[in-house]
Amino acid sequence: MTALAPEVTDLHAVVEEVWTTFVGAEEPLCPRHVPAGTPLDQAVWSGAVSVTGAWHGAVTVELADQVAQTISRVMLDLDSTADLADDDVADAVGELVNMIGGNVKSLMPGPSTLSLPAVAAGRAVFASDAHEVARLDLLWTGEPVRVTVHCPGSPS
Amino acid sequence: MRALIIDDSRVMRSILRRIVTGLGFEAAEAGDGQQALDVLNSGFEPDLCLIDWNMPVMDGYTFLTRVRDNPEWRSITLMMVTTESEQQQIVRALAAGAHEYVIKPFTPDAIADKLEMLGLLTKEPTA
Repeated sequence: MTALAPEVTDLHAVVEEVWTTFVGAEEPLCPRHVPAGTPLDQAVWSGAVSVTGAWHGAVTVELADQVAQTISRVMLDLDSTADLADDDVADAVGELVNMIGGNVKSLMPGPSTLSLPAVAAGRAVFASDAHEVARLDLLWTGEPVRVTVHCPGSPS
Repeated sequence: MRALIIDDSRVMRSILRRIVTGLGFEAAEAGDGQQALDVLNSGFEPDLCLIDWNMPVMDGYTFLTRVRDNPEWRSITLMMVTTESEQQQIVRALAAGAHEYVIKPFTPDAIADKLEMLGLLTKEPTA
């Protein structure tokens, strides 16, 4: 059975809206061509939320460390000299994936439930029975940003 | 005017605090529904609560129903501010007593417009 997946164009629209609203539009999110299966080539922060109900899936965001630090400063309204704790970055990444995941959920059949976000200083972890159904590779200020959607089951 | 911002994300509380204080509100914060009930029970009397839905300990919907069950808090305006955008959940929150429902992401103007519609904000006339 093929898992129902969001269209990549819809996923892009969701990410763009969340990003421009809370991070800003001064620096654009640019498309980045990365062959399928290529791991992210940077030290990263990652955040994930899962959706359960009429649709099952997980939405993850992986950000280069520099991107995670910068968006945390923007969202917390801190200047570049202010101290930034790991908790601050985790909170910002968690809220980012929460908003992206919540809006992806709204694209899919409901009713369903959104989990609280889980955040890690490192690559995202995926369930062994999950496969990637949509992926968005972007660049922001020259650094990578990746958003993926995984669903349970075998790839078609 | 006083606002109580209820969200488990410090980043989101910070964003909402900047918006509402910029609109002239005094703001307090709580990290979940139970903390928010504690703030109300401590004597802080907000005109407005901005309530996230998904939070640990006590979610926003449960907090909403607790507030609505207490006659002393009937005058508080309750606004859900959440990523939950399913029609069923919006209807459920409004039926339980929420006055407004804002879906994240939102702009400061969207919040201001809702507050104006609720009579909590009077826009200055432009010259």
